[in-house]
Amino acid sequence: MLLLDDLLVRPFVSILEAIHSMAISERYDTTELKNRIKENRLLYELGERSRSEYEQRNSRLRTQLEIAREAREQTRGKVEVMR
Amino acid sequence: MSSNLYTYGVIEQDSVALDRPGINDAPITTVDYRSLSAVVSEIDNQAPEQTDENATAHDEVLRELLGSDGGRTVVPMQFGMVFNNARTLKNVLRNGRVAFRRSLNDLDGMVELGLKLVTKDDTDLDRPAVVEDVATRLREVADTEAANELYSDRLLFNRAYLVARDDQPAFDAQIAEIREQYGEALHVQYNGPWAPYNFVDIEISAEGR
Repeated sequence: MLLLDDLLVRPFVSILEAIHSMAISERYDTTELKNRIKENRLLYELGERSRSEYEQRNSRLRTQLEIAREAREQTRGKVEVMR
Repeated sequence: MSSNLYTYGVIEQDSVALDRPGINDAPITTVDYRSLSAVVSEIDNQAPEQTDENATAHDEVLRELLGSDGGRTVVPMQFGMVFNNARTLKNVLRNGRVAFRRSLNDLDGMVELGLKLVTKDDTDLDRPAVVEDVATRLREVADTEAANELYSDRLLFNRAYLVARDDQPAFDAQIAEIREQYGEALHVQYNGPWAPYNFVDIEISAEGR
């Protein structure tokens, strides 16, 4: 019954993989983080954010970006969305 | 001392004497190949960190080059371009000579100017109409324009303009009018002159580095 088991399980696994992949994409969206880094810089340059606020946000966002890059690198090839 | 060379840009062959140092306070010098000079400084690694300090040093070297010698033409490199020695860099200049020469000719006497329009809090305005109006006004005094990414919801206009040095006063006057008209509702961030990053498209392969 290996084939039947596989057929029964496979779609479910695929959905899980897709959800997992989407979660990784959203949580570790490097483009979004890069945009937030640029926006933070822009608002600092325009005087809407103080130097200390800018630096705190910048440091936090760059750390998040580094984590996101590593996470995406580690999961590359391990999670594939079934289409 | 490492022989890695951080490269800022390419100019007509000349020696340069700048008031400021480059990244990590390293002195600026040149590597020449025929009619071209690459403006460089030594660096101890191949991947400089993209910090505010390093990015500012990169920009300021290019801006000082632009203003030196009565207004110099510069083909800028993107941030982080490091070659492992002068010989490799000369090979890149040799292989890219035609493209570098074409860019130097195309950019002769031109500077890049940038404009960003950012909504202030609680701004209510017809964004497409503002964009169209501003774009139309600036096209009249610019040679070429390049639209850049709108990376924030509050950023409604982000364009770079290639402008002849002689036309910069007319461009400045248009910006003053735009500021007058929209300054209440929008932050108007006008900057430059920059080295023309947005108007150079020369690809250097990894093997060249």
